[in-house]
Amino acid sequence: MSDKDKPVGSGGSRPAEGAPTTSPAAKVGSEPSNPPAPPTATGERAGHEAQPASKPPAPPAGGPPPKPAPKNPGMVTFTVNGLEVVVKPGTNMIEAAKQVGVEIPYYCYHPRLSIAANCRMCLVEASNAPKLVPACQTPCAEGVAVKTDTFKVQDQERATMEFYLLNHPVDCAICDQAGECKLQDYYMRYDAKPSRLEGQKVLKNKRKVLGPLVVLDQERCILCTRCVRFMAEIPQEPQLGVFGRGSHEVIDVFPGAELNSNYAGNTVDICPVGALLNRDFRFKARAWFLSAAPSVCTGCSRGCSTYVDFFEQDTYRYRPRENEAINKSWMCDQGRVSYKYLSQGRVKLAYIGRGADVREATRAEALKELAGKLAPLKGKVSVLASPLSSNEDLLASLAFAQEVLGAKEVFVGGRPSGAADHLLMTADKNPNRKGLEWVAAGLGLALRPFEELSKGIEGGKIKALYAIGAEVPVDAGKFAQSLQKLELLVVQAINENAITAQAHYLLPATPHTEDEGTFSNLDGITQRFRKAYPGQGESQPHWKWASELMNELGLTTRYNSAREVFRALSARVPELKSFEWDKNAPPARERGGVRPLPTGADGRPMGRREFGEPRVRGI
Amino acid sequence: MSESKPIPAGHHAVIPAPDHELDAELQTKRMQINLGPSHPAMHGTVRLKVELEGETIVTADPEIGFLHRGFQKSCENVTWNQVLPYTDRLNYLSALMNNFGFLNAVERLMGVEIPERAQYIRVVGSELHRIHDHLTCVGAISLELGGFAGFLYGLEARELVMDRVTELTGARLTTSFGRVGGVNRDLPPGWIEKVLKTLDKVKELAGEVDALLTKNRIFTDRMRGTGMISTDDALDFGFTGPCLRANGVDYDVRKAKPYWVYDQLDFDVPIGSNGDNFDRYLMRIEELKQSDRIIRQALAKIPDGPVILDDWRIVLPPKPEVYGTIEGVISHFKLVMEGVPVPAGEVYDSTEAANGELGWYLVSDGTGRPYKCHVRAPGFPILSAVPRMIEGRMLADLIPTFDTINMIGGEVEQ
Repeated sequence: MSDKDKPVGSGGSRPAEGAPTTSPAAKVGSEPSNPPAPPTATGERAGHEAQPASKPPAPPAGGPPPKPAPKNPGMVTFTVNGLEVVVKPGTNMIEAAKQVGVEIPYYCYHPRLSIAANCRMCLVEASNAPKLVPACQTPCAEGVAVKTDTFKVQDQERATMEFYLLNHPVDCAICDQAGECKLQDYYMRYDAKPSRLEGQKVLKNKRKVLGPLVVLDQERCILCTRCVRFMAEIPQEPQLGVFGRGSHEVIDVFPGAELNSNYAGNTVDICPVGALLNRDFRFKARAWFLSAAPSVCTGCSRGCSTYVDFFEQDTYRYRPRENEAINKSWMCDQGRVSYKYLSQGRVKLAYIGRGADVREATRAEALKELAGKLAPLKGKVSVLASPLSSNEDLLASLAFAQEVLGAKEVFVGGRPSGAADHLLMTADKNPNRKGLEWVAAGLGLALRPFEELSKGIEGGKIKALYAIGAEVPVDAGKFAQSLQKLELLVVQAINENAITAQAHYLLPATPHTEDEGTFSNLDGITQRFRKAYPGQGESQPHWKWASELMNELGLTTRYNSAREVFRALSARVPELKSFEWDKNAPPARERGGVRPLPTGADGRPMGRREFGEPRVRGI
Repeated sequence: MSESKPIPAGHHAVIPAPDHELDAELQTKRMQINLGPSHPAMHGTVRLKVELEGETIVTADPEIGFLHRGFQKSCENVTWNQVLPYTDRLNYLSALMNNFGFLNAVERLMGVEIPERAQYIRVVGSELHRIHDHLTCVGAISLELGGFAGFLYGLEARELVMDRVTELTGARLTTSFGRVGGVNRDLPPGWIEKVLKTLDKVKELAGEVDALLTKNRIFTDRMRGTGMISTDDALDFGFTGPCLRANGVDYDVRKAKPYWVYDQLDFDVPIGSNGDNFDRYLMRIEELKQSDRIIRQALAKIPDGPVILDDWRIVLPPKPEVYGTIEGVISHFKLVMEGVPVPAGEVYDSTEAANGELGWYLVSDGTGRPYKCHVRAPGFPILSAVPRMIEGRMLADLIPTFDTINMIGGEVEQ
């Protein structure tokens, strides 16, 4: 495979072994740091086997041949590696080849961005062109035979990879992208040859902080300009540019500016290498230890489809998941960092009593005591529901409020509203307000604004409150002071706050990563999300608390899963009735059974990977 | 020695009248005894439930599973190269043969041929461990039939082989030697000379064992005509290796389907005729000599050159390249984290291990880990024939029979 005439690691002009990047890491010089190596005595450059280039066929005499008539009218028919493909006119070769399962490698191409055709990785042989053509840029033409597996193409791919790696730092061990890096994947698939670099690598800025969420390593960058095009085209905030020329070409922000768009995090996703990295996630976890569960962002009412990347019982990051109807391939930065409440400040145990009398309790204890308290209070307990809860949580909890607590109205809690932006982020920071409205209407409960609850408590009209979720749209501290007047406050909460401190009964609840269910976004699109890991501590979903309390109070209704709740109660909600819970589930696993990572067998925990998606981020 | 007809179940012997009124009544109930699971004569940890009518075995029921480790399932969770340490624990008396057999199957599935020097090293390693395995077997036969000296001679020779294997692989028992694409290290300097000297010594010690046992009246009386199995039965049960050849069937994977460089080496396959314990013992004594021949030829012919493929998609790059170049570190990272990408497909491949045909049925789904890894351990079909070989015979025959089939718990119970 490799050149036999040049023993590796012994050339006189090679850098010292193990020390290819000995110069200062952050050097941003204007001097070329990789002067071309002097030619060897024989004038030959030892290296990969030189292959005779096949001579292109001479153009036929008498002008271009006449255009063939389309085989399928209105469509373009051509072949890829001998397989016939029929596509709409204008389709590029990469997408067309995907239809017949032929993978054409690419870095700079992205289906949702303009075409740059600068990475040269997708060059293929087409029968109507004398030279190789970029598959991303070339529309398919009638009758053309495209070949991706000839020597010419493979040699081009190998040569391109060699160029990309020529100046790439030896960083895999410290690079966040390792394990989901296209350079690694394509090197193994299309190159797998030793380095032929003589002399130094080009040194650039190793850690240029571009903005609040993104840091750039210019040495790792392959200048595919995906990030530049993304910023210009999707959020239309052209904050990134290409500066310099030749070996000194770098991606950067304009002088004095910073990459502070709310969509900057997407540049990290679409970066095919480890150049742009997420400052929030960097050095927190290695990609191959993380498992991914298909989920939904809870940062606002848009409900972007996400992957929850988790390890054991902690979420480390959100990544956007393809969803043509909602978020395409993107998500906003506020949503991206909104995962933190899933692990920080969680209520993990049940507590009975408030103030000095508070004590830990088992779930069974808390349920038993609470049931005794609630039984005589039918019709006297007000209910506060949070639109942060899933439809299943709300279905079961509101049915419980109606049947057991005798509630006729429900006060709406939830996070306070915030800013909206021009692309995805909405002002309503709750993922399931639509669902709450639907469920309440379906069950025949009236929704009352939060202010009425505050007034009712202040005025002493409300003496007992059952809160499903401790999020309130006002200052929690102030509101909590008024709660001191209550004779009974039951709170099912995910996170600790001033309100949970006032609870007589505090029951730990799970966020969406710890159970499965559905959210309905502001446009009325209902989405399933999958369970990533079991509830932290003693926490369990709201629907389960409702079900268990009903049993404790002598009712026979029992739900064993979110699916059961949905099947039993969604019929009462017209908007949810037609939603097919099972069919709409995003695929959870690559194949049946546990699929541990390569390191799973040596005692470290195992993980599962998402279905069908490449491990590489950002397509 | 023993009755030729098995006593049918439920049959009771006629109770003889006591000679004297004070004589105790003879106990005539069948006796059930357990050999093992922890009995010195039970190689590994196996339990034989034996029902006795007097001293005659009515039923014998080998019960395995004490050494079950979930080998096949474990393999699915690790990369192809990480399977190697599991294969050490199959037949732990000849770990190298398991290592190389597995690698050979993987390489066949990938369609790669390893360098010639690596093929020679694999032949030498395999034959060293064949000697190792047979010495243990013969020594154990001697010990369990009351001849401690034979055992000591055998173990002394075995220890020499083990020392050579240690020098080669770094481990006495669990060698984990070889990698997909060749072997992971070359022969140590001076090793060939040491092996040749070792072979001389082993020949001498094996000759002692041979002299002590083969013409020993006590030994031959207990071995000849015991533990018999017919050729048809042996084939039906799936016997391979020395146990099948003791029946006169000329089947040796090294000759039937030569792999590595076996077809370039001159050796004979010993064939028996009776299918009894003594022939199975003789097969091993003779194979010790044949392995000796093979190793001497191989060490004389071994060519210079690489011991592993030079393809960074399969084999880890040299360490200076890993630490010093991005190409090397990527290849290392991918091979370690994801494993050697074996193309999707399935393969059955076998090699001649010490106890017979060691077969591997591997399925790959194109990823770096086996989708399915099934091993055909040669000991399993042979062990399953033990009731057929021993029922109706004397209890004393059980020990030599169990010795000569050389059941290894590690490979049978996986």
